[in-house]
Amino acid sequence: MRALILLVSAMAVAAPIAAQPMIPVPSQTAQGDIAVTIYNNNRALIEDKRQLDLPAGRSRQEFRDVSAQIEPATVTLNGRGIGIVEQNFDFDLLSPAALMQKAVGQTVTLVRTNPATGAETRERAHILAVNGGVVMQIGDRIEVLRDDGIPARVIFDKVPETLRPRPTLSVTLNADGGGRRPVTLTYLTPGLGWAADYVALFDEANGRMDVQGWITLTNTSGTPYVNASTLLVAGAVGNAGGGYDRYNRGYPPPPPPPPPDGIYRPGTETAGRERLGDFYLYPLPERTTIADKQTKQVSFLDVSNTPAARGYEFHNGWLSTADQAQSVYSVLRFSSSRAQGLGDALPAGIIRVYQRDARGNPQFVGEHRIGHTPMGSEIGLATGQAFDIKVRSIVEERTRMSSSRWRTRMRYTLTNASPKPVTVDLFQGGLWGDTRIVDESLKSDRLSADETRWRVAVPANGEASVTATFDTRH
Amino acid sequence: MRALALLMALGVAAQAGAQAIVTSPAPDRLAVTVYRDPDRGLEPLNLEWLGGYALVSETRRVSLPPGESELRFEGVTSGIVPQSAIVTGLGEAVLEKNRDARLLSPGALLDASLGERLTLRRTSRATGAVRTQDAIVRATADGIVLQTADGFEALRCTGLSETLVAPHVPPGLSAKPTLSVRVRSPQAVTRDVTLSYITNNFDWQADYVGDLSEDGRTLKLFAWLTLANGDDTGLADAATQAVAGKLNRERVWVSRGEAKPIVLNCWPSGTTSDIATDVMPVSLMSQESIVVTGSRIAAPPPPPPPAPERGGDVMAEQERLGDVRLYRIPISVTVAARSQKQVALLKQPSVKVEGVLRLRTYGGPIDQPLERVLITRNRTAEGLGLPLPAGKLALFSTRQGRRVLLGEGRIDDHTIGEKVEISVATATRVWARQTMFSSQDGGGLELTLTNDLPAAQTVEIELPLTAKTGGTRLVKRDGWMLWRVRVPANGTAQLRYRV
Repeated sequence: MRALILLVSAMAVAAPIAAQPMIPVPSQTAQGDIAVTIYNNNRALIEDKRQLDLPAGRSRQEFRDVSAQIEPATVTLNGRGIGIVEQNFDFDLLSPAALMQKAVGQTVTLVRTNPATGAETRERAHILAVNGGVVMQIGDRIEVLRDDGIPARVIFDKVPETLRPRPTLSVTLNADGGGRRPVTLTYLTPGLGWAADYVALFDEANGRMDVQGWITLTNTSGTPYVNASTLLVAGAVGNAGGGYDRYNRGYPPPPPPPPPDGIYRPGTETAGRERLGDFYLYPLPERTTIADKQTKQVSFLDVSNTPAARGYEFHNGWLSTADQAQSVYSVLRFSSSRAQGLGDALPAGIIRVYQRDARGNPQFVGEHRIGHTPMGSEIGLATGQAFDIKVRSIVEERTRMSSSRWRTRMRYTLTNASPKPVTVDLFQGGLWGDTRIVDESLKSDRLSADETRWRVAVPANGEASVTATFDTRH
Repeated sequence: MRALALLMALGVAAQAGAQAIVTSPAPDRLAVTVYRDPDRGLEPLNLEWLGGYALVSETRRVSLPPGESELRFEGVTSGIVPQSAIVTGLGEAVLEKNRDARLLSPGALLDASLGERLTLRRTSRATGAVRTQDAIVRATADGIVLQTADGFEALRCTGLSETLVAPHVPPGLSAKPTLSVRVRSPQAVTRDVTLSYITNNFDWQADYVGDLSEDGRTLKLFAWLTLANGDDTGLADAATQAVAGKLNRERVWVSRGEAKPIVLNCWPSGTTSDIATDVMPVSLMSQESIVVTGSRIAAPPPPPPPAPERGGDVMAEQERLGDVRLYRIPISVTVAARSQKQVALLKQPSVKVEGVLRLRTYGGPIDQPLERVLITRNRTAEGLGLPLPAGKLALFSTRQGRRVLLGEGRIDDHTIGEKVEISVATATRVWARQTMFSSQDGGGLELTLTNDLPAAQTVEIELPLTAKTGGTRLVKRDGWMLWRVRVPANGTAQLRYRV
């Protein structure tokens, strides 16, 4: 027991825990009152109001806890009574190698440990050169560091001021007087983006739909934003010359927002949302901490019982024969208008559609991406292919009329194995040039030079067919 | 784990803030619906790369304290698409949903400790004596710089046995990406919460087993519903469904989390000798890196064909779901991690089929065997008349009491009433040869079919719409001119035509 006490006290002596005035308290965030404005294209504007203790006159201030991917060229610092002398973004990083390089010509402490006894010897060494290995002078001897493989600690007296643990933004400024004052730091950063995610529960029997909208924001910027007031802008701000990604850690950026899709008719109504220029704004209702590598979702839309209907579409690209009947697309049609729809503008995102099964449990029945959709739009989303409704296109006859003129007779057979009658919008594309329909079994609408459409009613558990003769000139 | 042994106090993550952390470790009840990879086409199931997905619905009983709290869901699949998560049962209390992908790893632990006071522990190799002292982490980006009472030092550049010891896990680091909701409730409540989400790395298909009768006119058809789970989370006692049909899917990028190793770089360490010493390697990367994905499942053996007299199988039940079909397994089953599961999908004792040999030609020389195609119609009259989900068909026949494999084919989704054609094998005994004649010989093409089988064979040749023969009758069918001919046993048939 005595031996144990002795041993413990010996160890305590060997490892003196001295009072260390130079060691500061563990870090907290240096961020102040922070406001984050996030755009769709993986870009954000950060506004950080900090309280700085400034001496009168010129001083250099470092800003910690800014985005690890900060675009330094976009930094602005504002405050009453201060003038900017210069702004620096230092990325000379503190590392063992950099520490040794900067110690050339200086003296360090070398603590050698005897491998057999564990005894330590302490010497001062003058670093002569760091080229491939460390050459140093100890007394009147010239040695290479750890050339003999014997354990040796190198203790540096100080860290050069220019070396930093992380890339650091510093501003040299002129203050008109000393004291604590608020300053506002603003900058742009990539690594923050957002999109919308919608959950649509479709009640096919009653032609109704419940829709919830969630804002999904993602932070891959390498820095948390503590207790931030967050504003989301539905739109992509211009990004001249591409993204600036100094601190990219191998993360792919979120994909760019897709082109508008599935909108039959863009709306002309103004949504009751906050606006800024061309963009709608979606402020988050409460301050929130956006942690690094976090995906955060906040509700922004909750609409019940909006009218919705199921439609069917089939697009045939060219006058060709299909080997097998092909399923038509099942299309969910609804409106974003105030009078008969969701009554809101829809920011770009993915709409996931659910339907209840025979036991009443919601099941996923497909999803579709939409672009920014104005209020009042007519929307049709292809959520999947219908198992029971198919179209087969067949070239029945192709006749050469002259060297540049052909006649093609097409037959489209539409089959419906479901117990309800359906109407299929049958599109024939590839008519660009001078292609006319000279004969058809059902009246078509020529939607454009390239495309025509038949609206074909197919009876329950039945079949319908359309024939048409196309006159093509080349 | 030589690089850094880090002692961590557990459960300290719940330290900070007024926000209580409530952890729901596992679901109480579970339902899963598996969807086929819409882009797989007729390719076989690849167990190492499953492109389908599943909808998982979990019911969990949770108790929330009054005020603001963070409810963490553990035991969700690792392929979760966090954007798709829906939490119901908490009503207005949900403020936000979060998914944190900052993972606890040696590198992340040190990064989070930058500027913090840790303990530096040195063990003497000679005597085993342990010495500890306080140290502050000053840099972690490219090698580790420490500040001690003595001055500044670099970790593990000394040749000593030394390591850093942390007092607790920094907040915000977790073992796996964590899904949570921030909730605010005026009083303590206990609720049943439903969490549903879409997860990747699942798939399914139908595996048909057909036994052809001796005369080749009827088929005994059986099908397995084959489910595969490529995730490392198993779904135990789940109400299990599968959806047949092709649904639209959008690609979303999901962060798998970052597993960062410690980078130990030192200053240049060149020496004057080339004798190997026991100096540690300067860079000890990758020892701690966590492999996030990449484990493999051994390919399972092919499904055993069902014994002919067996009965009372658990059969999946079929229903309509919107424009697709839902198959429900009537009992709860466990869809284990990295595994494949099969239950009976359908059983049709006698399906009328016709076997024909087929060839399609656009004109031009041909010298090849014909393709054997099994044709039927998906109607009750033919002994079918039910939806056929896409999958694989193994075709067997019986010869002297033994089963023999005749061929394998693939089936796409077929609804009721459709014609079903499955190409099952190449008929090497029936050969087609087509030659072209020069204009001096009158032009055109000549197709010769030879059959060395002791039975007559029905052959269908599809010719272009412009094909014209001297006298042989061709019928127009589905955009092709069809020559349907019966090639006699050990005989030939010939057609001359022009296009």
